[in-house]
Amino acid sequence: MTDDKDVLRDVWFGRIPTCFTLYQDEITEREAEPYYLLLPRVSYLTLVTDKVKKHFEKVMRQEDISEILFEYEGTPLKWHYPIGLLFDLLASSSALPWNITVHFKSFPEKDLLHCPSKDVIEAHFMSCVKEADALKHKSQVINEMQKKDHKQLWMGLQNDRFDQFWAINQKLMEYPAEENGFRYIPFRIYQTTTEWPFIRQLFRPVATDGQLHTLGDLLKEVCPSAVAPEDGEKKNQVMIHGIEPVLETALQWLREHLSHPDNFLHIRIIPQPAD
Amino acid sequence: MEEDEFFGEETFQHYCAEFIKHSQKIGDGWEWRTSKDCSDGYMCKTQFQIKNRTAVSHRGTSARVQTCLPMEEALEPPLDDFEVTETTTATEVIKYEYHVLYSCSYQVPVLYFRASFLDGSPLALKDIWEGVHECYKTRLLHGPWDTITQQEHPILGQPFFVLHPCKTNEFMTPVLKNSQKFNRNVNYITSWLSMVGPAVGLNLPLSYARAAFQDEGNVDRQDSFIEPKSLEEL
Repeated sequence: MTDDKDVLRDVWFGRIPTCFTLYQDEITEREAEPYYLLLPRVSYLTLVTDKVKKHFEKVMRQEDISEILFEYEGTPLKWHYPIGLLFDLLASSSALPWNITVHFKSFPEKDLLHCPSKDVIEAHFMSCVKEADALKHKSQVINEMQKKDHKQLWMGLQNDRFDQFWAINQKLMEYPAEENGFRYIPFRIYQTTTEWPFIRQLFRPVATDGQLHTLGDLLKEVCPSAVAPEDGEKKNQVMIHGIEPVLETALQWLREHLSHPDNFLHIRIIPQPAD
Repeated sequence: MEEDEFFGEETFQHYCAEFIKHSQKIGDGWEWRTSKDCSDGYMCKTQFQIKNRTAVSHRGTSARVQTCLPMEEALEPPLDDFEVTETTTATEVIKYEYHVLYSCSYQVPVLYFRASFLDGSPLALKDIWEGVHECYKTRLLHGPWDTITQQEHPILGQPFFVLHPCKTNEFMTPVLKNSQKFNRNVNYITSWLSMVGPAVGLNLPLSYARAAFQDEGNVDRQDSFIEPKSLEEL
């Protein structure tokens, strides 16, 4: 976990250039200019868009403003998914900037979680971190930490402080040498072609014979339709943080370097885009 | 490795199947659902409750009973409530859905639920809180993620409220240890649901507990039913 520290920084500081436009049917007192922002891949929409909200609220009347929501090409964006994941899932083959539409009414209750305050985002984030540790360490590491350490993880993410975050997160990334890896790998696989939101299963980083499992092993086991047959053409594009890792990469390495701050590996699979 | 599979998904499905068998016998409305192409499944139940808006309540069957003994409410079948409220003008029917899913991360069952009016508009968390018995509230408000939060249903992808599962092992371990000690049959799902359900308006008729003991002939033992006072462990 030492030589590849640059990877950790690259992941943390990944950005997506985004253009926010107000939905045309929103009632405004004067025309709303679009707002441009570089969104952090590893953060959450409602955590980093205060300026966007303020910008559009300036041209609207108070009574026309209720909970903000973001939409891309008709799809309401789930704020509780990391921004980079949303982009890779919905817009990775589109030209930049990512065009997001902002709404202040008609909140789709059946599709989106409410986000009334930053506390809700913090609770969601910490809940993911806790769940990941349940898989890795039976929750031992997270439960032994003090409340201030939990707070530091959150503040590190909220304030975009890499060192502050990793000072605590590295404890969650450690594993006892004799075990040769974490108990289970925290991961979620997202596809646009399925009914359910994501795949999650128990999967070990190391096989019983001591061999390190690879990304390809995981996919074969958990999502076999995503992996091309030996002699067949690649039908699907497997992406993490906007890149396509080689399928022979050890899961353990991916786990340590390409996890999101919530400690999960968010893997997205879409049909191979036509070039 | 065996320890990891202590409450594995198969065990979960087995206990749910037993639970549903009894539910079918007494018409309690629980059923099993699977999603297409997915081996995951869950247990679910829909029930309707009346919420009185006026101060005057009729017969007390539809008013919220402020007691910590949920079993008494459970003995009244919901259909009676419909007949009572014909005479009240300002009442609302609320549809509650309860889903029991398995969490492979925590290796325990998890209770998901949501409530809506008949026109489909959902109830906010604060409205659901109003239905939580006082004796559960203080304990549930312990920590930001030890309580009820809104989350995405892992199979349906829609917003549901969830009772966070991270403490489940803590309060279920003594139950299971005791059952092993005294060689009793305990349905994990029955015990667990009897503890967490009442906190969100879901009650289990007593007969579930008796059903677990049918094989042993101990029809009167209700030990798999946890009395509310031991919920301090929650």
